[in-house]
Amino acid sequence: MSAMLDVQNLVKLFPLAGGKVVQAVNGVSFTINRGETLSLVGESGSGKTTVGRCILGLIDATEGDVYFDGEQMGRGRNIRSKALRGRIQLVFQEPAESLDPRIRIGETLGEPLRYLGMNRADRDRRVRDTATHLGLPERALDRYPSELSAGLQQRAGIGRAIITRPELIVLDEPTSALDPTARAEIVDLLIRLQAEFGTAYLLITHDLSTVRFVSHRVAVLYLGSIVEEAPSETLFAKPLHPYSVGLLASVLLPDPELTRSSAIQLEGEIPSPIDLPPGCPLAGRCPFADARCKTEQPPPVMVAPQHFVSCFHHAKVAALDHTTDNFARFQEDSTRLLSVGAG
Amino acid sequence: MTGVPAAGSAILEVSDLWVGFPSYREQTLHALKGIDLRIEAGEMIGLVGESGSGKTTLARAIMGLVPPPGVIERGRVLFNGRDLSAQSDAARRSVLGRELTMVIPNPRAELNPVLSVGRQISNIAFYHLGVSRQEADRIALDMLRAVHIPDPERRFNAYPHELSGGMAQRVVIAIALVCSPRLVISDDATSGLDVTVQAQVLDLLQTMVREKGAATLFITRDIAITAHFCSRIAIIYAGEVVEIADRRRFFARPGHPYSIMLLAAFSHNPALRARWTRAEEIAGATPSTGCAFASRCVRRQTRCLNEAPSLRPLASGHAVRCHFPVEAQA
Repeated sequence: MSAMLDVQNLVKLFPLAGGKVVQAVNGVSFTINRGETLSLVGESGSGKTTVGRCILGLIDATEGDVYFDGEQMGRGRNIRSKALRGRIQLVFQEPAESLDPRIRIGETLGEPLRYLGMNRADRDRRVRDTATHLGLPERALDRYPSELSAGLQQRAGIGRAIITRPELIVLDEPTSALDPTARAEIVDLLIRLQAEFGTAYLLITHDLSTVRFVSHRVAVLYLGSIVEEAPSETLFAKPLHPYSVGLLASVLLPDPELTRSSAIQLEGEIPSPIDLPPGCPLAGRCPFADARCKTEQPPPVMVAPQHFVSCFHHAKVAALDHTTDNFARFQEDSTRLLSVGAG
Repeated sequence: MTGVPAAGSAILEVSDLWVGFPSYREQTLHALKGIDLRIEAGEMIGLVGESGSGKTTLARAIMGLVPPPGVIERGRVLFNGRDLSAQSDAARRSVLGRELTMVIPNPRAELNPVLSVGRQISNIAFYHLGVSRQEADRIALDMLRAVHIPDPERRFNAYPHELSGGMAQRVVIAIALVCSPRLVISDDATSGLDVTVQAQVLDLLQTMVREKGAATLFITRDIAITAHFCSRIAIIYAGEVVEIADRRRFFARPGHPYSIMLLAAFSHNPALRARWTRAEEIAGATPSTGCAFASRCVRRQTRCLNEAPSLRPLASGHAVRCHFPVEAQA
């Protein structure tokens, strides 16, 4: 079976004045199957948003191809094209800024359906039906975005995407502007909608604590390259790329007992993507880096089914004792805590 | 104001603080409703709340800078025994930036864009410490080194836009700590940073604050940070402290349903999360009497709608503002 979305060796360069080049994306390949969630995880400047925009066909890739349902994206064919309308949708980071402040929520939800040629009565029925799925109170449909909390606004943002029953939703940092409690509710909603409608998600985020339980697979992006890709549980329990290990160790969980593991500490910050040196993108920050890492880009190696890592030294990382999965331990502890006396 | 204060002496004492924002034609909005908070020397206290809970208003009130039209309606804030809001601007300026400092979020927007970062640190030392310009520059360079800015001699002359977010945040920490303050207020200081950078900046802030012997009020909406960097945790909801406890006690036996809801947000078990979360109601339904959290509380009973709970001790050093705290029934 061919994948619904197939991204092959995507490269996106932005030329600058003076002959310099921003190497935003350097050969990214991945696939997404129907009904599946792939998370693209990375820090600012890693190229995650550029990848998302190439997939939607909003910008043309410098090299490489994106196929959606067997047909190529880009070069004029994008999510605005008539044949693709409503099949791929997008959810933005800032709900308050991505909703029209002068249009009532109900109207915003129904708008995508107008472009699909649906009549008023059908639209209204679909809007009400979607609001139920979203857990959006009926009263909210008559409100303006500014009258709702950020959590409810983001529900509306997701509603506007899901209302056309798309096959793929690209979620660009959908939870990072929200408070933790609202964030958890949005994540639950996404999981529920996927179970109901079989929508596939490309979740672009730097928020690792939500990634683990919404994604089937996770791809870790660093300086425009995917350094590791694995099923979600595998990546969190046994990451093999030094960057993945450092990234996961930086995540703080609300439990004083779960101190950050210090097997690999990443020093410094992600460097500028202008005119990258050859070799491994992490070479400048990696404790394992040797001469070879500075000259030669490590190819992805399959270490287990569906688990790819691009590191010459992944065996050394595997030998480190960093296998305690803080996330799993935290879940056990929090389950105990939350099981006492709820209402 | 030099010398290490005796242990147990309060650096900051906030008692029954009410701050209101009068509004045209509508009722006054009370951003803070009777906050009591005591911070002792060297203590790192975490204040956790969602957006709109009054966290930032409290920080401003402590500095004596409630933004207009807000007014302190009742209660007072004593910093080192003095009420900053009652002092002249000049007197307040001699305290702010020197004994009481703030680490702000979004540093690249808050730093002066037309002054080099070295000069911005140096200005604080020059103004507050009464040293020569050369000495101030030397102190500033030492601070850049102390906050682990690579190549500090060159970065001294860099402008804020030339630095990454993490570097700019280190500069802001250097500015806050250059005069060895008694109290540092950190207001969501790391929320804009990536996780790997956030971890480094938090480690740095904690180390620096300890070295300088300062107390910290660590304001954040991320309860996970406080589990690792604070000695005491206070939870603020709708302008009231709803729970306060030592770190270990808090994370082992939280008592307020809202605290548990905050922790539940990290759980991967939707069913358990749902047990602690009540579907959100559209604003405007908040009852004027009764518990402010009642509309979102899974444990609410009739009493909660009619009678506002007070902050009552649950154990030594642990107080909860709830009629039916979880501990009592567990």
